[in-house]
Amino acid sequence: MEIIVCIKQVVAGDRVKIDPRTYSLVRSAESSHINPFDLFALDMAVQLRKKYAGSITALTMGPKISEEVLWEALSLGADRAILLSDPRCAASDTLATSYVLGMGIRKIGRFDLILCGMRTTDGDTGQVGPQLAEELNLPHIGNVEKVEGERGLLRIERLTDGFREILEVSLPALLTVSPRRTVRLASLIEIQDAFTRCSIESWNLEDLKADPAKAGISGSGTWVEGLTPLTQEKSCVLIEGDPRQQAKSLLKKLIERNLLS
Amino acid sequence: MDLTLSIQQRQIRRMARQFAKTELAPIAKEIDEEGRFPWEAVEKMGALNFFGMQAPRRYGGAELDSISYCLVIEEISRLCASMGLMLAVHNSVVVFPLNQFGSDEQKAKFLPPLASGEKIGAFCLTEPNAGSDAMAIESTAIRDGDSYIVNANKIFVTNGGVADTLIVFVSVNPEDVKKGFSAILVERGTPGFEVGLLENNCGMRANPVTSIVLTDCRVPRTNLLGREGDGFKVAMAALDTGRIGIAAQAVGIAQGALDVSLKYAKERIQFRVPLARHQAIQMMLADMGTMVEAARLLTLKAAHVRDQGGDLSGPSAMAKLFAGRTASKVASMGVQIHGGYGYSKDYPIERYFRDARVTEIYEGTNEIQQIVIARELLKGGED
Repeated sequence: MEIIVCIKQVVAGDRVKIDPRTYSLVRSAESSHINPFDLFALDMAVQLRKKYAGSITALTMGPKISEEVLWEALSLGADRAILLSDPRCAASDTLATSYVLGMGIRKIGRFDLILCGMRTTDGDTGQVGPQLAEELNLPHIGNVEKVEGERGLLRIERLTDGFREILEVSLPALLTVSPRRTVRLASLIEIQDAFTRCSIESWNLEDLKADPAKAGISGSGTWVEGLTPLTQEKSCVLIEGDPRQQAKSLLKKLIERNLLS
Repeated sequence: MDLTLSIQQRQIRRMARQFAKTELAPIAKEIDEEGRFPWEAVEKMGALNFFGMQAPRRYGGAELDSISYCLVIEEISRLCASMGLMLAVHNSVVVFPLNQFGSDEQKAKFLPPLASGEKIGAFCLTEPNAGSDAMAIESTAIRDGDSYIVNANKIFVTNGGVADTLIVFVSVNPEDVKKGFSAILVERGTPGFEVGLLENNCGMRANPVTSIVLTDCRVPRTNLLGREGDGFKVAMAALDTGRIGIAAQAVGIAQGALDVSLKYAKERIQFRVPLARHQAIQMMLADMGTMVEAARLLTLKAAHVRDQGGDLSGPSAMAKLFAGRTASKVASMGVQIHGGYGYSKDYPIERYFRDARVTEIYEGTNEIQQIVIARELLKGGED
């Protein structure tokens, strides 16, 4: 099974810096890491390859420092890594991103399955997976827990509110993967091996034969008009009295705030 | 001069940091208080190759460069110094000298289980009457056919309570200790092998530091590391390397102490503003940060020298001396920032304070490092 996993470099939650002019995230290698939701997709790809053989290509769009997350993907088991990088892709919204990723996937050519994380921890739109499926005219299933089957038809399990849904989908297809799994760390040997056996391919818009007007700001249907940081006010309330009174008083406060049903 | 880490080194640091955060941070306080060795974490560290960081691949090691090795030790020590110590000793004063001085047979036999973490290593030099003065050891190994009969009383053995493979320093010539000074591999379970009392140490309490007593222990002659009389060479090579690991550990402790102090300084309100807004606290934080960075750079410089095959004695002694002092100083300043809470076990800074102190003592005290450094300085010619 030939699998493409789309991954994104995100900025660690406690290190977010915003460019005040463009409202886009300021990225650095030190402050960025692989989007945690993409790790679930990568892990599913590794499990599928274990079962059905084939290969895994990790794909990302971003500046050169996004190579970091591709190396992480290679350490975690990807066989090939491709960076779609072009200054004209800067400030792409999800539509423009999906277009560029789609062009990258067209250039890759043969694939059976595309796996994406459900969403990212920075933009948090959850749109790129479904939009990419539209871009490539592929069937899409979201929040996938389990995948079985290989030739042409996959049996999918996904959770919806209160139900376990079983679906079948023909290949090629795009799935976004449920975060309800545990992810592992790459061992030192796996990291060392990735750097010995692999390299990162970098493609620009010319390589992709992509239309620059459909990438970056010009290809984006949305743009950020304003950004205001939210501050969370915390206050500490000391509950007085003996333990019984304290428990009673705590219970009352929790009920008042609808924190207990 | 390039002071940036490579992508590969950053990936390794990221992985170690993530492991420490998810697996060690949640148990660090508990294992310190209970004095418990966390086997559950050890198994996971084995799977990530933390026990054979620089060992050759053919023996199951990861063949890391020394800078990457330091980064792992720093990240582990930053959240759990006891485990940083366990790994530093295992990797740099057991696995390294075994690989450096061991015969092919010894390497094939001992390295794979050590590199996988199935077995843990220990380094036994110190005795009741010998420490900094290594030549004062009283332990002996007397030849008897194809064996040595080993009698030894080793104290302050890091990993002692859990170690399976121990490098023990003995003299094969009781008449002339210096001439007979040798290193021999002893396995736990050999008749006459006994784990002695657990030290009730003030810090590093999750590491079972014990005495090891060998009484008429029959050890095959094939377990001699190097040749008879090579012990000093083995010990010094191990310690030169080991000191980089301890320096990295001290940097990790100092960084951890700085981390929790920064957090506390932002949270604690005094005079209606966070502590961090007070200039006196800012000055302490600035000094702490500067010292940590300086210690890290000296440590990575020593690691770089090692990777380049340069003379390690001076750089590793400088790194250890400075990083050990930094760990103690930064942890102490961290306690000061925490005020009364810094003296309480409710905050992690007191653990950093206790853990830091021994980095100025073991694998060569500050004073021994100073002797090594002075010797290196004095032997150099004028430019």
